[in-house]
Amino acid sequence: MDDSTKRLLQQLVRRIPTQMLKTTLEKWGRLTTEQQKSLDFTQPKWVLTENLLAFCEENGWTTKHITELEMIYVTDSPNQGMWYAFQLLDPEDDAPSVELTQFKEQFKIHLTELIRHVSIKIKKHTDEAVWIRIAWGDSFSRPNHLKPTYVVHHLQTPYVFMSSVTRKQKPLLSQALVLATRYTAIKDAHLSGRKLTAIRDVVMKQYQQVFPTKYPSPLLEQNQTASNPLIKREQAESSENRHQMACEAFGYGMVPQLQTAVYKLETKFRGITNKTMTERGEPIRCVVKFTSTNLLESFRNCASSGIASTPVTPLLSSITQKGRNFFVITDNGRGPS
Amino acid sequence: MERRNSMARTPLSSVVAPRRSRSKSYRRSYHSCLGAASYLSLTSGLTARRLTTSRRAPKSHSITEKVSPEQLALLVKKEWQLSYVTPLHQFRHKQLKSYSRQLQAFIVAERQQGLAVGMEGADSSFRVSFSVLQGMVETDDDAESVFVQIHSKPVFAGQEKPMRSVWSGWLACISGSPDYLRSLPEDFVCLPLFCSSGAEWLTSLVKSWFQRMFDCCFGPLEINTTNLEWLVALWTNCHSEFNIQHLKLMWTLPVVPPLEVTYTLHPQDAWELWRSIREDVQDEEKTEGGRDTMAKDGGSICIEEVMRFMQALKCHFYRHFRVDLSTGRLDQVSTALGSAKHNGKIKISNSSYMITTLMLLTECALLKMPI
Amino acid sequence: MEGEATKGVLSVLSRLEMQARSRKAKPPQQQNSVKELKSTIDALITQRDQLKAQIETQMCVQKLRAAMDKQGAHEADEEMDDGSENSKLLRLMARHAQLKDLLHAHHLIGGYDIVKTCQGKGVCVSLATGYEGVYLDTYNLEIDLKETLRIGRHNIPPFIPVNSLAEQSNMQTDIRAFLGALSQHLNAFAGRKQQVKLVKELHKSVEVLETNALCSILVLLLTVPREKIAVLCTLDYADHTRCLPTRVCIECEDKELPGSPHWKNNITLLKETPVHKALITMKKMGYIV
Repeated sequence: MDDSTKRLLQQLVRRIPTQMLKTTLEKWGRLTTEQQKSLDFTQPKWVLTENLLAFCEENGWTTKHITELEMIYVTDSPNQGMWYAFQLLDPEDDAPSVELTQFKEQFKIHLTELIRHVSIKIKKHTDEAVWIRIAWGDSFSRPNHLKPTYVVHHLQTPYVFMSSVTRKQKPLLSQALVLATRYTAIKDAHLSGRKLTAIRDVVMKQYQQVFPTKYPSPLLEQNQTASNPLIKREQAESSENRHQMACEAFGYGMVPQLQTAVYKLETKFRGITNKTMTERGEPIRCVVKFTSTNLLESFRNCASSGIASTPVTPLLSSITQKGRNFFVITDNGRGPS
Repeated sequence: MERRNSMARTPLSSVVAPRRSRSKSYRRSYHSCLGAASYLSLTSGLTARRLTTSRRAPKSHSITEKVSPEQLALLVKKEWQLSYVTPLHQFRHKQLKSYSRQLQAFIVAERQQGLAVGMEGADSSFRVSFSVLQGMVETDDDAESVFVQIHSKPVFAGQEKPMRSVWSGWLACISGSPDYLRSLPEDFVCLPLFCSSGAEWLTSLVKSWFQRMFDCCFGPLEINTTNLEWLVALWTNCHSEFNIQHLKLMWTLPVVPPLEVTYTLHPQDAWELWRSIREDVQDEEKTEGGRDTMAKDGGSICIEEVMRFMQALKCHFYRHFRVDLSTGRLDQVSTALGSAKHNGKIKISNSSYMITTLMLLTECALLKMPI
Repeated sequence: MEGEATKGVLSVLSRLEMQARSRKAKPPQQQNSVKELKSTIDALITQRDQLKAQIETQMCVQKLRAAMDKQGAHEADEEMDDGSENSKLLRLMARHAQLKDLLHAHHLIGGYDIVKTCQGKGVCVSLATGYEGVYLDTYNLEIDLKETLRIGRHNIPPFIPVNSLAEQSNMQTDIRAFLGALSQHLNAFAGRKQQVKLVKELHKSVEVLETNALCSILVLLLTVPREKIAVLCTLDYADHTRCLPTRVCIECEDKELPGSPHWKNNITLLKETPVHKALITMKKMGYIV
């Protein structure tokens, strides 16, 4: 067992929080029962690391085994790091029938053609997502397992999610993905966030959306105080309307947890009465960034409480409608799609 | 199911009234500046504090000519926590060396008694130095600013290891209200602005030492919205001479979970907007004419211009996002000149226009003081 | 803004104030009471006449409806055409009522609904899906009614190609064809998804090795009872408008097995019946555990 494997294991154990370590090791299944029993998870992390390094020697684990463990951990806690969404465009005719083994083969072939020293690991998760772990090397060095790239793709959907990709690696990775999925091109979906589940839900529309229907079920008010029949809310109808429009724009119930939305504006000044400024006619450049622990819920709250006027402006409702959180707005309409 | 759209609210339109009379805007700024309690009711002839409806536009060269670069370096590029301090009784600028020794002894004593809570590490050897910031004054009534620094080194470090600075702070009075300053009794020195940077336990030790020695009182100094808006205007005004690189404003909206809005403008565009607002206001004043017209020499900024500028910014935002920023709280403003936060933290990144910022903060401190 | 003001607290208070004032101002007098009673009588008479007219209209409309339902709309039009404004109006009302009932019936049988939105500038279509008599998810699609119809917001998952369906079935000219095709795709998808769910629930001994988001591929691991041999069964649903597979593949270590007549029957069975039902049959006949 060489140094790099040791370092990898050390870094990995440091990264995994102690409460998850037990289950992750069990899932991995490469510890014998005595070894598993001998680990005391109440001890400090460095003690556990020492024990695991010792087991590593005993059991003869290689880098391949450690990367397995890392992949198990990352697939179980995908809401870390920054994830970026990309969209595949123009499917070929056989794109809908690409199945897993074909995709795996094709991806490995194409990526190794483009860059020789890569280490690729592909795994299918229970929710039909295909996880790919890539360690990059170059013509002079072996793959660097300390900084792997992760890619997630759901077959037959045009979306790909990537994390930890450098600018040099991106074109190679994109090319391999496009060829393996039988599409023609790939573009930035302008959606990013720390929680993979959140951006996946936004893009695949897997959250509760509200639409106008003829047979509506009444939307529960979020703070339903005990309804005393003697109390009549004066503004009940307009607040009901606002709540409906807020839910239509941003979703109902638990919404995907996005953290930021960024708008780069280059538009003419839209103020009031200011003649000099409006005469000037040059656009004002500014960047507006919205941040919150749960962005969509904050926006929904703004709209239903009246801080944001309803009907909700398309700039904000585009976040859910178009599934993106980065926008460039100019006076001639939206910027690059 | 047909939906009735709620009518678009344009909350900002109500504020665009034709230019109000000076007294009304004076009153408005009065209320917003004072906040909850009205301290002026406690006036005892000492105070004739008028709220500033206009300030002189900042000049860049005033500070660097007077204060040495080494001393300036101590002040810039550091984030200071602000507090106000009531006038110090029998504080003598000539006894600074003695004060250094006394404070040093005090800190060591408190440390040994274990009364200082939250201290970390095994530092036990301290050195305190008081110094005067030569030239950090604006008017003749201002007292000289005092700078305090605490150095320490870990217990087991050898003699050769240098002491490093673990805490610094300074007291200043920049262009304080002359009526107030002159009305103070002989023994009192007024240095109302206290800035501190370093470990919290050291700050509270220093404060308690001052309280004991000079019978004064400290209190937190928050920068309220109006003052932050003044800083926005003052800093933007400097762009013609000093590139402020960006104008960044941060609001927090009161929703669950709280939503933070960061609004960053290109400096040239912000400056153009500011300039056009000033032109408009000055045109209006000219047309209204009469005895209300103040001599506008371009060297002073009035609160009307500040308010209009902020409204214009918020309106531009509203037109895009239909979100009313006035419902939130302005938390932070920053440019290349520095940054100011609502919770009383200030950072001066460039010494160019320092004096004006400090003048504003001194005024805040004087207003917040209970006497 | 004003509408809201009239319903607000202040308006209630002002109404109460007016009532109180009027009560003070009017001392009860006998002549006034006679006048009041007369005006009440007049109001009641007018109301009665209005209600009578409404009843008559309704009865005419119902007669027309009955005629329309029997003979078809156009013939009924011709029959009852006496040219007057009233009868035209009545015919329109009858037709309107008929269409409303038709739409309601369409909704009840699980077809799609349409509602107007944005004051007539758009519509929202709700497509219900169901399988084996059970209602499953409802999908919604908003369409903007401009010179060209444009698809707006929707919650249809991205693997159902809404835009290409719109192009293929010429949504601009024939929206019913588009909605029909979309409904077909969605129902088939919902059906396949439900089948996978049922297989997982009802057949614990069968392991689902692979599915995908569109549910167009299903790979199952079956076990032959006596010899405990594993059989890999791949179902390909290449036609996304159907709930049944287009191709079934059997692989096994024992090379003889897939060719045996029993298993050839099984393959045909899997192609013709929904997979969860086919598995029940196969279990009963003892081919799998």
